[in-house]
Amino acid sequence: MAWKALDRLTPVAEGEAPLLSEALREKIRSFFPRYETKRAALLPALHIVQNTLGHVSYQAMEEIAEVLDIHPSDVLDTLSFYTHFWTHPKGEKVITVCRSLSCEVMGGKEVLDEIKKQLGIGLHETTPDGKYSLVTEECLAGCDHSACLLINEKLHKCVKPEDVAKLLADENNDKIDSERSDLFDPPPESAVTKTDASDGTSDANEAQEGN
Amino acid sequence: MAKIIIDNQEVECQEGITVLQAASKAGWDVPHYCFHPGLSIAASCRLCLMEQKMPHPQTREMGWSPKLMPACQTPVRDGLEVRFASDKVKQNRANCLEFYLLDHPLDCPVCDQAGECHLQDYSQRFGNAESRMVDQKHVTPKKDIGPKTLLYTDRCVLCTRCVRFTQEISGTNELCLTNRGSKNEIDVFPGRPLDNPLQGNVVDLCPVGCLLDKSFLFKRRVWELKGTPSTCPGCAMGCSIRVDQADEHVYRLKPRYNPKVNDWWMCDEGRFGFEYVHDDKRIAAPVVRRGKDKTTPEWQDLPGILKTRFETHVREHEGASVAVVLSPFMACEEAWLLIRFIRDIAPSAVLVMGPVPVEGEDQQFPAGATGDAVKFTILKEKCPNKRGIEMLLEAAGGETLAFDAFVEKATAGEFSAGWVVGGYPKAWVEKPVGKAAAKFELLVAQDMFENEFTAAADIVLPACAWVERDGSFANHAGLIQPFARSIEPPAGAMRDGQYLFETAGFEGIYSGERVRELMAATIPAFNEVCEAPPVPAHTH
Repeated sequence: MAWKALDRLTPVAEGEAPLLSEALREKIRSFFPRYETKRAALLPALHIVQNTLGHVSYQAMEEIAEVLDIHPSDVLDTLSFYTHFWTHPKGEKVITVCRSLSCEVMGGKEVLDEIKKQLGIGLHETTPDGKYSLVTEECLAGCDHSACLLINEKLHKCVKPEDVAKLLADENNDKIDSERSDLFDPPPESAVTKTDASDGTSDANEAQEGN
Repeated sequence: MAKIIIDNQEVECQEGITVLQAASKAGWDVPHYCFHPGLSIAASCRLCLMEQKMPHPQTREMGWSPKLMPACQTPVRDGLEVRFASDKVKQNRANCLEFYLLDHPLDCPVCDQAGECHLQDYSQRFGNAESRMVDQKHVTPKKDIGPKTLLYTDRCVLCTRCVRFTQEISGTNELCLTNRGSKNEIDVFPGRPLDNPLQGNVVDLCPVGCLLDKSFLFKRRVWELKGTPSTCPGCAMGCSIRVDQADEHVYRLKPRYNPKVNDWWMCDEGRFGFEYVHDDKRIAAPVVRRGKDKTTPEWQDLPGILKTRFETHVREHEGASVAVVLSPFMACEEAWLLIRFIRDIAPSAVLVMGPVPVEGEDQQFPAGATGDAVKFTILKEKCPNKRGIEMLLEAAGGETLAFDAFVEKATAGEFSAGWVVGGYPKAWVEKPVGKAAAKFELLVAQDMFENEFTAAADIVLPACAWVERDGSFANHAGLIQPFARSIEPPAGAMRDGQYLFETAGFEGIYSGERVRELMAATIPAFNEVCEAPPVPAHTH
């Protein structure tokens, strides 16, 4: 065609081998009893895949669709709604710099520029050695300690541009004290039956407590 | 019946519909993008918002609600009072339309939808004349999303009608809504294009120029097109359609709402299957052969020639046996005229049902649906009027034959004279019939394309495509559906109905309606035709 149109007819070229192992598929399937429909397990499935593979590629989306018995476009629809799912590989550590008001006032922009300069990458990019990816986020809920940034799940408070070099050099800059959430691990058998038996109100309460 | 009050006027409406439908039916022009009566309700475009009277939470006194309500999502109920004519409602429409146009490229001069675009119409009727947008527009890409459709993301109003169509009607789910908020776009999964047998409908559903038909792209401005109501000849369903033509050239077919047949939809096979109409290889002039001589008679002489030839044949041959093959692509009226002509001359003439093309199986949408859940069906019987010809054969009585038996008997030389009607869009003589065709002493072949019958015929008559004729088809359920003439036949050809009308001994201009009146005298079924009901003016 004479003008430029994005080609959506050809698939994104990816490997032949399946990305989702049988164990991973089984883990997704273990969520089915929680919901009325299979498609309802889409969000847990996306979390499981991203936690295991680091990102959810187009091939992975197709494989998730296959497990959940839905069209891949439904997976893309849901995945792209949430900004925290990655469709391309991300670095070992993801630096998320806050770009909200308090941090902006307290020099967040300068911190971001310093990181960009030191790593030699821009936003949504990954260093050539695959160690760091850089993104910004609206608010990290650390306004009382601005400017703040996240390295993976570790929150660094009151960061100044001159701290950046030290922060990046620290091997343990993403280590958190508490254990990782097991929210997206399959529930034990007993928990499922218990939820089924109880009424809707207590479900909601439990969910809130869990949060 | 419920009674509601719209803008201080009492309106009686059917129970169970929405205020938007009631208002449209009563003549109100309520702007809307996302609402479509054939799809689920999204209430996302915010153009149909109205004011509604509600009880005050404390005093229980009835008053106008401070918040506007979507008319498309509010069901009618007795005593409901709403208004569209208030400043608040008008201001909302203008504001919404201003937002819709913020990132719109305003490329109407090169947009196929211009002229039938609801962004244009609504902006003119309800919007602002000027844009206050001073910033750079957000440019989004065009997407090649399927073999028949293009998606211009920058023109999209995100009504999601197309997405709901693939989810609810075709059941194929190819389209989705990616990203969120201001970055929302309609898209397909890469490598899983929009490719289903009903995909053309998303172009009709699109209220703006976002989804476009590749086959119509840049072909013609829509205001130059003239639409004629017609019936699709693609399969035995007989969907109600509109034929859009300009300068005697058909550019596109669009479905018309008909709850008895096709609702709002039509299939791609029917929609894009009209190319044969403009095929150069079509037979355009009558030919009379005498030995090796080939002459093209004047049209006014032709009825006389046909009549004389058949009369002479029957007179000169003791026990002459005449066969007529009636094609399921003929209109009921044409077939009736031909039967009348031939039975007048040879009362024992054998009537043959032409071959009925069958392809695959009936397809139902969404796939696997049963009963009321079936939203659309494509039938395997790929001809429009098998049922109609059957009705006529039944009414005419006498000997009838299947096509295969006819070929067999003709090959054995059992028929001395014949009239074979084709008019199929594709090659229809599948088995060699040369031997059978050669056995006739007098053979008339009426067809669109050359085949073994036309090669052997003494008289070749050009058949016209359905867009060039008028008459009626009876669909699989026996509904008699008229279709009107949209374009002139190719130069040199005459409409089948006209020469059959004259040959059968009538004078004047042929019209389907006139012949149907004559037919109804003997076949009562033709008293009643199924016409698509009118649609309220401001719905789309």
